[in-house]
Amino acid sequence: MTATMQPKSEAAEAPRRGRRTPGAGQNARPRGRGLEFGHWWWALPGIALVVAIHYVATGIGGFFAFTNWTGIGSFKITGWANFEAIFKDTTKVGALSNTLFLAFGSVLLGNIAGLVIALGLNRVLKTRYILRTLFFMPVVLSPLATAYIWKYIFDFDGPLNALLTAIGAGDQAKPWLADPQWAIWTVLVVLVWSSTGFAMVIFMAGLAGVPVEVEEAAAIDGANLWQRFRNVTLPAIRPAVAIATTLGIVQGLRVFDPIMALTGGGPAGATETLATQVYKQAFALGNFGGGAALALVLAAIILIFAVLQQRLTRSNPED
Amino acid sequence: MSAIGNTYVLFLHISRILVSDRGHGSRIISTTKSERLDMTQHRRYSGLKAGALAVPTIAALVLTGCSASTGSNASSSGSQEFSLSFATSNTIESPFQVLAEKYMETNPNVKITFNPQPNDSYDQTLRTQLQAGNASDIVVTSPGSGQGRSILPLAEAGFLEPLDDSAKELLPEGSASSFGPEGKIFGQATAITVSALVANEVAVKEAGEFPADFAALEQQCKSLESSGKSLFALAGAAPPNTGLTAMSLAASRVYAEDPQWNDKRAANEVTFAGSDGWKSALEAVNTLKDAGCFQKGAAGAGFDAITKGLASGTSLAGFIPATSWKQLQSAAAGSEFGVRALPAEKGSGNDYVYASANYAFSINAASKNKDAAKAFLAWAAEPEQTKAFAEIDGALPVSGIDSYDFEGGAYKNVGDLIKDGKYGPLPNSQWPNSAVYDALATGVQGIITGQKTPDQVLQAMDAAWGQ
Repeated sequence: MTATMQPKSEAAEAPRRGRRTPGAGQNARPRGRGLEFGHWWWALPGIALVVAIHYVATGIGGFFAFTNWTGIGSFKITGWANFEAIFKDTTKVGALSNTLFLAFGSVLLGNIAGLVIALGLNRVLKTRYILRTLFFMPVVLSPLATAYIWKYIFDFDGPLNALLTAIGAGDQAKPWLADPQWAIWTVLVVLVWSSTGFAMVIFMAGLAGVPVEVEEAAAIDGANLWQRFRNVTLPAIRPAVAIATTLGIVQGLRVFDPIMALTGGGPAGATETLATQVYKQAFALGNFGGGAALALVLAAIILIFAVLQQRLTRSNPED
Repeated sequence: MSAIGNTYVLFLHISRILVSDRGHGSRIISTTKSERLDMTQHRRYSGLKAGALAVPTIAALVLTGCSASTGSNASSSGSQEFSLSFATSNTIESPFQVLAEKYMETNPNVKITFNPQPNDSYDQTLRTQLQAGNASDIVVTSPGSGQGRSILPLAEAGFLEPLDDSAKELLPEGSASSFGPEGKIFGQATAITVSALVANEVAVKEAGEFPADFAALEQQCKSLESSGKSLFALAGAAPPNTGLTAMSLAASRVYAEDPQWNDKRAANEVTFAGSDGWKSALEAVNTLKDAGCFQKGAAGAGFDAITKGLASGTSLAGFIPATSWKQLQSAAAGSEFGVRALPAEKGSGNDYVYASANYAFSINAASKNKDAAKAFLAWAAEPEQTKAFAEIDGALPVSGIDSYDFEGGAYKNVGDLIKDGKYGPLPNSQWPNSAVYDALATGVQGIITGQKTPDQVLQAMDAAWGQ
């Protein structure tokens, strides 16, 4: 990962590495070999599998978006009827706005939190390695398993309400995941918690490539902490920001398992997203055509935002 | 699902950056002649190594690919072997498996392969397997058309084998149309499942009498609430439970008065939104909520709240399939669970419960072991076996219900209703698709949280009916 985030800083790193281990040539050799290793045709089985599983299957699934197939038996081609139904249905329009809210909410908060943690754990702190591991842990853990732990925390008889009662705020106790106003915020908290670690790692990789000399020079020139961050660090980690936000949005737009485990889309559709709707329509309610149409809409939205995001955060036109 | 996607996107990024990094690399690293030689050798060696890894990997892929396509037909030569698919939702051994094991004991030459599936993905797995032609020889289905595992759509799509007379004899009265189109039968009923209330009888006694009508019920809710208990345990976040609650409320209000209501709905003579009975049933959800009949935090509760509430006695009863009495009784030592009808609005004379065959054995039309499968079904249809199955399942036997001894059992409080014929099939089994039930189930949660009105829910059900 480190290598991916800091193409420019590699050059700056190389001499320092050389000093640590004698013989810079030896040290650099595996890199050279690694880059020229292999032949393109070795990837053929992989390419064939990706095309067959990813693109052919998706293409066939996309075809069913224009039919009234129920998942079994025969079907008729119904044209754009499934898409019309989506935009007429308030549940699905609600799911769309929930999806956007959760995606952008989790990207914004998760990235800010990730950046703050990455900055804090970048150099000075002694316990930074342990803390990094702890903050990264949510990314490694199964989203489904952690969602069940969160579900327990937000349960009516769970620790959160117990805490509220203990500090005398018992009247605030509520079934968080079944409260029409609070449920979506509760889901957002869980999403931010689980996405922060990933953003942190990307930012940390980016920060490792920020030359200390430039920061020191800025400090000598009298730049304060904020100015150093704004004018030195942030421009240097721009590629990291681009990747963290793009991945975050793609991930956020199709979030499925935590919601399914936390609320199942409830209460009464208040936390329904496009991904949970796709699953429900296609697999639970036997409306495969409708589900496929919804999946196409979701894919289009993800594509639009991913491209938009890439363009907005592109550091220079050569990239 | 998302993890794979993530890795894929990450891979794209990494490969892009690696490609652009190549330029930097070559500028920094100058290779000597000996190094280049070393590289060639290394490359050759790595090629061997990678080949050594790739060969078994590809072989494994090819082998699994082959075995996946042939595995299910491995037993095609012998007819004394077949497979059985059923849904499981807890760790207790499935009654279907117990019955099949008994068959293997009495017929040592028969080998049955069990394919248990988690209940929440059973419908989808079953449909996918039927479609792909690798479903089990015998599959457990449900009568009617309201679910993914329902007989009617599966039979119409040609996935099920028509059954013979022994299955016809087990048809519960008046339910032939749920077991197959055009007079044919595609499922053999396994047991009669009552859907009403399951009550903790010890807790009911402690609280006094079980209410006889709806007004007394509201009263008892209030007094129980003041003592920190609740009359009902509700899993508000679990659609199967909220749906069953609403249907139970509709039993005396809609189906007791008009058992053919579903047929009329199918003929578009009536609608949910236009039905006073249905409206009253959903308004009763609000009444129950306001009277404090549900436990605290019911709107967000899962099934565990029902199990915990009923087993500990903090809730008196729950709207769950009656067969759960047996599991609850075995889980809570010293307890006694029984099945009760929800008190009707107009007094006990109008009580009505749902009792129908909710599960059936069907034979996969693509099965190569139909004879063995049919022999098993014929055996399972014998009165001795239907009785034994009902006992294992905690249900009522599918045959000989008239001579069934209700006294002293878990069903003693609903025995009279069943003998008097005051019961009907679970309504959603006759609804045309599962979206209608979904609209009802999520709608009830919406009524409890205040997001929806009964009218909105009923309109959504009508809309789903026409889908």
